[in-house]
Amino acid sequence: MRQKAISGLPYFLGVDRLNAVASPEDRVCVLNILGGESRTVTPVSHAFSGGNVVFGTSPGRSGQVLKTPAGSIPVFNTVLEGIRAGHGFNTGVVYLPPSGVRDGVAELIRVNPELKKIVIITEKIAVHDAREIRAMAQANGIDIIGGNCLGVADSWNKVRIGGALGGDHPEESLVKGSVAVFSNSGGFTTTIAQYLTTAGWGTTTLISSGKDVYIQYAARDFALAFAKDDRSKAGVLYVEPGGYYEKDIDWQKPVVACVVGRWKAKLTRAVGHAGAMAGSGDSAEDKERWFMEAFDVDGIYTSETPHVSAKGALVTNIADIPAALTAVMALNDIQPDFAPRGSLSLKPWIANDQGLQLPPDLAQPVVTAPAPYDAQIAALSDQIGAVIARQSMKDTSGASQMDPKTQVTSVHGHRVLDLALQPLEAMFALPLVHELADAHDRAMLDVAVAAEVNLIGDPILLAADAARDAGNSPNTVMSVAAAITGPKRVERALACARALIALFAQSGLRDGRDESFDLSKIEVDDQTRALFLATPDEADDPRPEAMLAAIEARGGKSVFLRFLLGFGERLSRDAILAAITTTIAWGPLARKRISRLTAETLPWYMRLYGVMVGATIPGRHHQPGSLWGIPREERFSRWTMADICCLAMTGKKPDPTEALYVQILIGLLISNGPGSITAQGAKGAVSADGPQTPDRVQINKAMAGFLTHSGYSHGGNGFEGMAFLLDQFRDKGLKDPTDPNHGLDLTGMARDFALAYKRDKATAKELGTEVRALPGVHHPIFKGKPENFDPRERFIAQFMEERGEYNIFHHFYRELVRQLYDVGASRYVFCVNVDAIIAALLLAVLWKDYQAGRMTDANLETAAFTIFLFGRMIGAAAEIDDHLNRGRNMDTRTPASGCKHVV
Amino acid sequence: MISPLVQHLPKLWELMHHYGMTTLELNPIRMRPGKDGRLTPVACDFKCGFDRDDPRVARLGLPQHLFAADLSEFEQEVNQLRTHQGQSDVFVVNEFGTILAPTFGGGANSLVTEVLGEAAIISSDFGGNPPYEKMKSVAAICYRHFLAQTNVLFIIGGKSNNTDIHETFRGMGDALREHFAKHGPVPLYVVVGRGGPNLVRGMGNLADTLDSLGVPYRFFGFDSAISEVVNYAKRIDEWMRTGGREQIARSMNIAA
Repeated sequence: MRQKAISGLPYFLGVDRLNAVASPEDRVCVLNILGGESRTVTPVSHAFSGGNVVFGTSPGRSGQVLKTPAGSIPVFNTVLEGIRAGHGFNTGVVYLPPSGVRDGVAELIRVNPELKKIVIITEKIAVHDAREIRAMAQANGIDIIGGNCLGVADSWNKVRIGGALGGDHPEESLVKGSVAVFSNSGGFTTTIAQYLTTAGWGTTTLISSGKDVYIQYAARDFALAFAKDDRSKAGVLYVEPGGYYEKDIDWQKPVVACVVGRWKAKLTRAVGHAGAMAGSGDSAEDKERWFMEAFDVDGIYTSETPHVSAKGALVTNIADIPAALTAVMALNDIQPDFAPRGSLSLKPWIANDQGLQLPPDLAQPVVTAPAPYDAQIAALSDQIGAVIARQSMKDTSGASQMDPKTQVTSVHGHRVLDLALQPLEAMFALPLVHELADAHDRAMLDVAVAAEVNLIGDPILLAADAARDAGNSPNTVMSVAAAITGPKRVERALACARALIALFAQSGLRDGRDESFDLSKIEVDDQTRALFLATPDEADDPRPEAMLAAIEARGGKSVFLRFLLGFGERLSRDAILAAITTTIAWGPLARKRISRLTAETLPWYMRLYGVMVGATIPGRHHQPGSLWGIPREERFSRWTMADICCLAMTGKKPDPTEALYVQILIGLLISNGPGSITAQGAKGAVSADGPQTPDRVQINKAMAGFLTHSGYSHGGNGFEGMAFLLDQFRDKGLKDPTDPNHGLDLTGMARDFALAYKRDKATAKELGTEVRALPGVHHPIFKGKPENFDPRERFIAQFMEERGEYNIFHHFYRELVRQLYDVGASRYVFCVNVDAIIAALLLAVLWKDYQAGRMTDANLETAAFTIFLFGRMIGAAAEIDDHLNRGRNMDTRTPASGCKHVV
Repeated sequence: MISPLVQHLPKLWELMHHYGMTTLELNPIRMRPGKDGRLTPVACDFKCGFDRDDPRVARLGLPQHLFAADLSEFEQEVNQLRTHQGQSDVFVVNEFGTILAPTFGGGANSLVTEVLGEAAIISSDFGGNPPYEKMKSVAAICYRHFLAQTNVLFIIGGKSNNTDIHETFRGMGDALREHFAKHGPVPLYVVVGRGGPNLVRGMGNLADTLDSLGVPYRFFGFDSAISEVVNYAKRIDEWMRTGGREQIARSMNIAA
């Protein structure tokens, strides 16, 4: 027997006083010292204890060391090797995996005659092995603590053996005092120690007993050592159901017992604590009764019902422990060890209710965390904007998603159908700020883009006209404008945006329009200030004043503009553009919905939008101060984006209904998901520049990527539908497509066409050729039922019906699908698809000009393509920004194994 | 004279000890008289309980499906991830509950399950420092089974001993982001109560993820009483049941 047994017990117990449990004289050997858990925990224990670990074992790693703040601990293959090297010890700590624990214990006992106790940290040891461990230890007079425990610690001796009691800063929780703690839960041992300090109580010895089926060092053993420990004036126990360990114990000193686990009566399997399952007679309620009898109390202690006696109290909530202890000790005329430290009240460290209004008792404000956590949290908020992890973005988008069932695409959570009913400006900002702009932000956006559209004196005009004269399609013409709008052309605007964001990042500003925000705390040096000022070369540029006047006229508010105007000097239009974009971006940025990168690149997108729209207007219409005859002041102060887009297509300002239809059309065309060829073009261009170095990504080139990847089949095919309608209506004398009293027999027209089509089909079949597909009807997904519908067409149709709007071309289409079926040209009623409604709406807008000879067929085709480009540039901006933030360099590449060869 | 029953006790002990049993019950036992007057004890019924952690159970060659009987599909999925690197113990408390509470630590598990009562969907212990991939897999399984009905995602534990808060929070946050991407967003409120290594780093990472998803949250450190944090989570759940969930859905742009 290694130790003298305490007499009078039916089993061996060596430890007879608490200060011997974790004493400064203990020398420790750790089995599996280099394992995952021990590697982080042992150095802290060793340093806290002043260096009590003499060596550790790890088979095959003899010669290595475990570095700790208190020096390096040598590692050997076996315990015997370590002993032979001269390292004596009396305490073993076992971190071996479950299957190795029993052999580890056997080894310790066999080779070390000086061994007195072993602490077993390992969880999930087989009950079989636990029995054998006990048998060996009992036969040899060794104390075992555990298994599945967190070790032992002593606040007076400043010693910690085994596990992570007190966490990685044990000195925070292990405060010297007069309470001994014995807990079935490792983590809660530390928690209880902390809770006690809030009532002014410190600790003596803390023991985590574990809660396996066999608790090797149990409550009764603790009670003996506790009774003999002069330092400990009181004890706190944390107890779970299972086993009779706590029954009929004579405590001799005041004790607070916390019994938790009534709900475990429902368990059929152990969760977490293998032993915390009761049979009969050892449930949570049984244990509660044992303690209530031991303390002579009638009930459980709570703040409402403080059942307490001088012997002790029973609680079922650990938060009640401090108050219960103080109450028990008061009955013993014993005061707490020190003044209370801290409290247990709710102290939120980090919170964000995302703008929601919670009830006051739930919307608890954030408080400063204790050091050093407060500094760490402050450092977190130094970083403004969302942080997004990068991944391959090939055929992947965080911006758009198509619902396969309805074929409706959503951009940042908004269906394009719903977007189509929003004002155009709201759509233009969406891809970049991930939110719909409200009326105020939209007004600012109108000014920002309007200022870029007139290209008089800019080489872009010459280039665009040259491209147009060369017979290029509208997308190619637009891409010329995009290509020229390169990094140097936006350098200053981007620098202004970056500077504004940096100046205000730490300011606490939440809303870019906050009129009451105190600007005096924003300090700017002369070099930065100079960024925003107009240079002498720009003295003749009227746009800065025009923009400011327009913003004023539209009631625009911007903290950033107010700040810049405070300089008292002439601002450049780049500065004003940056102020506008930062105003719109600020809310989403502060709420971490968008990244800082997105906010910093916004001016580039706005400039591109304006330039691309401007490039669709032939050069001769760009004059100083007027665009296609419309004066600057009018455009800046009153026109919307829809107005400008209409002007670009038709040369005139639309009436409100026309503007509405242009807005709807553009909305419907915004995106068809990341698989569409336009999206692939934009994403590929970003990927090829390398989004992981965002400064090098040429956003204008990415726009050109989208543009070059549209064409007569993709984007330019809108004209097909219009051509078809023109064929049907050309000589019918139609004056107003929106007037329901048009006097035309649409059913008859549809029927005639259907019959002719049926004949063509039959002829083609005989000849073995194919008849042309009809534009605007049928769809590969929406088919097969007796009557079919394209949900996108239905959505728009319903909207128009509710507004009492009529469109003859759409009406014709509805007749057409009916007639095709009635004459037997189709097996079921085809759907009228979304292309039909686009063609119908656009043709209605352009009809009068066409009839009057102001627009030719070629003009109509260009208009159809152009409106596609206006819509799709929004979707492209979304994909570009998304890929820039999330993608990896060259991620859109297809590996050779994914490619095929044909001869 | 030694009773024939007692003679069998060593063999019964061998069965119990060497085949991974924790309990063994023979009830009733009848004594059958033999030819020569000797009595043979016969067990008319046999029951036993097994120790899940003892590989010796496999010696009996019992088919797995016998043990699956009282496990739900969810529990079985999570159990497959059970290694000694982290606990991943789960138990379905109420399949109609509204608080999904990944809990860390056996003690926390006891307290949290007790206080949440029927509002809790699962009782769990995911402590023991699981690596990132394992934490993410376990979280993904929990979300797949239960997130649709969840009001409060409640991540709770005491001051961790060695579980890395950054790794585990990153795993749970990334799994949530992927779940939203695949299955669509769910109106949620996230409550966290935790302490341990890399605490603020983990909180910051999770906060960023939730911000980008538009999910509201409140995080508590180890200096708030764990029982108070649990009560707070319950109060949030009650608020959500009486209209809060709809408010969150609108804010997150989720169709009803």
